[in-house]
Amino acid sequence: MDKKKKPRQQTLMSFFGANAAGKLPNASQTSNKSEDASSPAAPAPPSSPQSDSSNRKRKHSPQPDAVNEAKDNPDEVEMPVSDNDSPEEPPKKKAARKNNIPSGRLIKKGDAAKKAAAKIVTPDESASEAEDKKVVSPRKRKARNEEKEGSPPPSKKPNKTNSDNSDTEVDDSPAAENPISPEPKQQPSKKKTTPTKAINAKATGKAKTSETKIEKNASSSFVDTPQGGTSSPTSEFEKDEKEAVKEEKEQDDDKKFDKEVAKATVKMMMAGGGSPKKGSQITWKKGDDVPYAALTNTFEAIESTTKRLQITADLTDFFKRVLQLSPHNLVACIYLCLNRVGPEYEGKELGIGESILIKAIAEATARSAASIKSELAEKGDLGDIAQSSKGKQKSLFKPAALTVPSVFKTLKEISAIMGTSSQQKKIALIKKMLSACQGNEPKFLIRSLEGKLRIGVAERTVLPALANATVAMNPDFAKWSTAKREQELEEAASVIKQVYSELPTYDEIVPALLEKGTKGLAEACKLRPGVPLKPMLAHPTKAISEVLDRFEDMSFTCEYKYDGERAQIHMLEDGTVMIYSRNSENLSAKYPDVIERLHKIPKEGVKSFVLDGECVAWDREKKCILPFQVLSTRKRKDVQTADIQVQVCIFGFDLIYLNGEALTKEPLIKRRELLHTSFKEVEGEFAFAKYMDGNTVEEIQTFLDEAVAGNCEGLMVKTLEKEASYEPSKRSRNWLKVKKDYLSGAGDSLDLVVMGGYLGKGKRTGWYGGYLLACWDDDREEYQSICKIGTGFSEEQLAEHAKFFKAHIIDRPRPYYRYTDTPNLRPDVWFEPVQVWEVKAADLSISPVHQAAIGLVDSSKGISLRFPRFIRVRDDKSPEQATSATQVAEFYRNQKINSAKGGKDEDDD
Amino acid sequence: MLEARMTQAATLKKLLDAIKELVTDANFDCNDAGINLQAMDNSHVALVAFLLRAQGFEHYRCDRNHSLGISLASLTKILKCAGNDDVVTLKSEEDGDLLSLVFESPNQDRVSEYDLKLMDIDSEHLGIPETEYDAVVKLSSSEFQRICRDLSVLSESVIIDCSKDGIKFSASGDIGSGSVKLKQGASVDDNADTSTTIELKQAVTLTFSLKYLSNFTKATPLSDTVTLSMSGEVPLLVEYKVSDVGYIRYYLAPKIGDDNA
Repeated sequence: MDKKKKPRQQTLMSFFGANAAGKLPNASQTSNKSEDASSPAAPAPPSSPQSDSSNRKRKHSPQPDAVNEAKDNPDEVEMPVSDNDSPEEPPKKKAARKNNIPSGRLIKKGDAAKKAAAKIVTPDESASEAEDKKVVSPRKRKARNEEKEGSPPPSKKPNKTNSDNSDTEVDDSPAAENPISPEPKQQPSKKKTTPTKAINAKATGKAKTSETKIEKNASSSFVDTPQGGTSSPTSEFEKDEKEAVKEEKEQDDDKKFDKEVAKATVKMMMAGGGSPKKGSQITWKKGDDVPYAALTNTFEAIESTTKRLQITADLTDFFKRVLQLSPHNLVACIYLCLNRVGPEYEGKELGIGESILIKAIAEATARSAASIKSELAEKGDLGDIAQSSKGKQKSLFKPAALTVPSVFKTLKEISAIMGTSSQQKKIALIKKMLSACQGNEPKFLIRSLEGKLRIGVAERTVLPALANATVAMNPDFAKWSTAKREQELEEAASVIKQVYSELPTYDEIVPALLEKGTKGLAEACKLRPGVPLKPMLAHPTKAISEVLDRFEDMSFTCEYKYDGERAQIHMLEDGTVMIYSRNSENLSAKYPDVIERLHKIPKEGVKSFVLDGECVAWDREKKCILPFQVLSTRKRKDVQTADIQVQVCIFGFDLIYLNGEALTKEPLIKRRELLHTSFKEVEGEFAFAKYMDGNTVEEIQTFLDEAVAGNCEGLMVKTLEKEASYEPSKRSRNWLKVKKDYLSGAGDSLDLVVMGGYLGKGKRTGWYGGYLLACWDDDREEYQSICKIGTGFSEEQLAEHAKFFKAHIIDRPRPYYRYTDTPNLRPDVWFEPVQVWEVKAADLSISPVHQAAIGLVDSSKGISLRFPRFIRVRDDKSPEQATSATQVAEFYRNQKINSAKGGKDEDDD
Repeated sequence: MLEARMTQAATLKKLLDAIKELVTDANFDCNDAGINLQAMDNSHVALVAFLLRAQGFEHYRCDRNHSLGISLASLTKILKCAGNDDVVTLKSEEDGDLLSLVFESPNQDRVSEYDLKLMDIDSEHLGIPETEYDAVVKLSSSEFQRICRDLSVLSESVIIDCSKDGIKFSASGDIGSGSVKLKQGASVDDNADTSTTIELKQAVTLTFSLKYLSNFTKATPLSDTVTLSMSGEVPLLVEYKVSDVGYIRYYLAPKIGDDNA
């Protein structure tokens, strides 16, 4: 209750209960009340003298259903806490405050048995009563305090204690709900028991190496980068290398990780005796929809740790409960965990901007949008704001609790809303959900809507968790030996991963999994045209010699590495053609021309296929490949074949599926042969990637030179026979890429002046999340913006810079700052030109927004840096000694010369 | 089956106007006593309930309880086709998915018929307790409408302060502050029926959202007077009696933390 500048709006729900009986109200509500014995109002009067006026209003509880009580109760433990009782608040005061509140209290005074019999008390009431009144047992309170202090969130709790709890909860007797009960109710999402900790500690110890890496990765993905890129190392090679190394580590880690998880799961099972640990979390009735709170509590637990093992364990536990109680909700649960509204390749996005969310929160909480905005600048997370705004609101009764399917359905609805007044419709839906939110739900709901769940859960965590949960459901699980269990778990994880990489849609995998289990999964879910699979990726190499080292004694082939866009072309039996990008995005709308003429390519007898290739911009007159920059000028949506300026040619290099058969297990040599025998080249439209099977340095070097001369990026080197299967989604060492850029050295470093800063969000709240940099133009005597920068900083550096620049804030840009005033670019704060930073960039490009070296290379456009990365502060340079516009122009021209025959893109802007 | 004949289409029109801003879709629950509606706004801050008594209709027949799920916007559109003095007949079969509306002009020379598609609406019925309020104030509905409109200029919320001698509405915001006080017994237009009467057990001060209150005043055409019933920390009840026919009631949850800075 700290902030109350504005009156806050209460909801009616705090006052009335829903009448779950669902019968039509009688002519007047009054009569309804008095007639209906089971109506909540009835028992109230006798139960207590109306000592304070507010008591007159009685509450109505809709759902006498004990299960609901059980389900609702747990979140109560957390929910009102955030509002009225921070542990430090003296109970008395709170009780006093609560005195004003109608209802529940009355009932409370009445004896519990009566209440139980009449079943009039809503779960919320009783629980919140417990909270409010602080009749809470000392144990419970203590537990809560611990929780507040960030008690360890070990997820595994031996089953014994829990089963007791869970029994009580599922128990139909509302007496179990008695708030005065000394037995602590569940501690949602936070469980603590010593044996568990020990297990976790062990498991953690083993997994340590992988975890630390993961933590790094995870944290980097949290970092808010205004530039959009996550990492932008000096040279492209470093970038690729880094990415590849990261991915590979992930893959390796994943393997190790699966083992660890398997072990941990087994231990957990043994400790828990293989039966459910309901008591530790929110429970619900078998067959009911999963309460959203159960999911958000899992999120909460996950968020409190960065350890992947722990995250997986929490997730496994959650999935298991879903599997046990409401398997039909599992798909929705998974999508919500991944913050998606459908399979990735469908490309559906929520598309909810911050401003809509702010409006919705403002309307739902009756706060002003301005106050939310200012709080956002301070706290940086709308979810937290929604939660605290919500939490400050008094509520005795909540609308029907959100369930996972209802939330998922609404999110889907929101993603489908378009057209007129779509914003209003979205806000209305969001408001509706927000008003039903309790506990930590608003936080995660808002984050989901924003598309930034930020709990560190991705596919590679969800898949093993799913596998574990499924295996643990096996009735024989308890009988297996430890080794057997570990083996089963590990196997399941690899099966699910494999299946997912071939058919990345939970809509199909999950039902198959439920029906057939992990054993039959691979059989039931197979790669098929129409569903994009994750493409196989290549590992970067620095030198040809490295290639030879890797492929010693193996047959391999070199292919041109075309500089275009990865395209996975699917043709279904019915002739439908689809094109997907590297990220499984449907590109069919972008390449209607390709789709139209694709029927020319397959030879007779080819009914369906999935072909992997590169889509490259093609100059029809000169019959040559154009650089990637040209391709990127193509419109992305609503392309009409007639308007197409940039023609493309597909270079096919792999065949993954042909006439009903997946070829992923076949060696490349066979796949390539099939590719060549099943398709024919059409000039300027479709060609096979050029290849050469030579194996000496000289041959490869010559071939590489040819490739570069042919406007390609470099070479792909692939194993032909041994270890030559198609490995979806893997960055494999069986495919290597040799890029010309890798061979030609690192990028340039520039010394630039800091002009302004962008307020940080998320992890960078309180600091600047990014900065606007400029070069110095001697002739015009002005600073010209050159790029935004958001990467390369350590946390310490961010803090330092923030401190330093806060002393140099100016309220408006200096007249000699040259920049384009667009909302995207305009910094939140301007700084005096005081510091020079050394920055490395992957490359320089002509920019429509940045102004560096304007007039020197292009008359109206400046130059900007791609993937700039902070190196260090140049204390030895004054701002006017920063890299000059002339130098920037020079860098740009040099780069042009380097990139052979790149001259073309000049006329394409 | 339901059959209800109402002599003045205007009543129905006004009723619709009074709720359609607050809720978009709602169930009209029909039983032998009359037609009920109860609905909450999206954020569960306000609730509207109306009752059209069977006696208020010229002819009313409802064999079995049933609910008509209606999109209020669509119903409003259809009602636009009726003249104010037309006689309206509402008809619906229990298991049908249509509501038929027949509009007959007063001299019966024009009969128009419309069918409205019904929808399935999930709604929770709230048991609203009959409450004794600390303060019950009856005042002119147009006066109340004006106060809400005037104070909306200043702030998003209004503080209602009810004491023995009168009721005071005050608001303060960025541009300044203002208040309107109505004295017990005074009438704004010399009409005794619309004079301000206050039944007070205990003085109350409550804060409410003006946006919602202004929304409620859409019911002003239905009645000359409005009754505000208040108690500390419980929802405000705003009731407009529709002569003979029934009433429309709004409930509004108060705002908390009213040190309006």
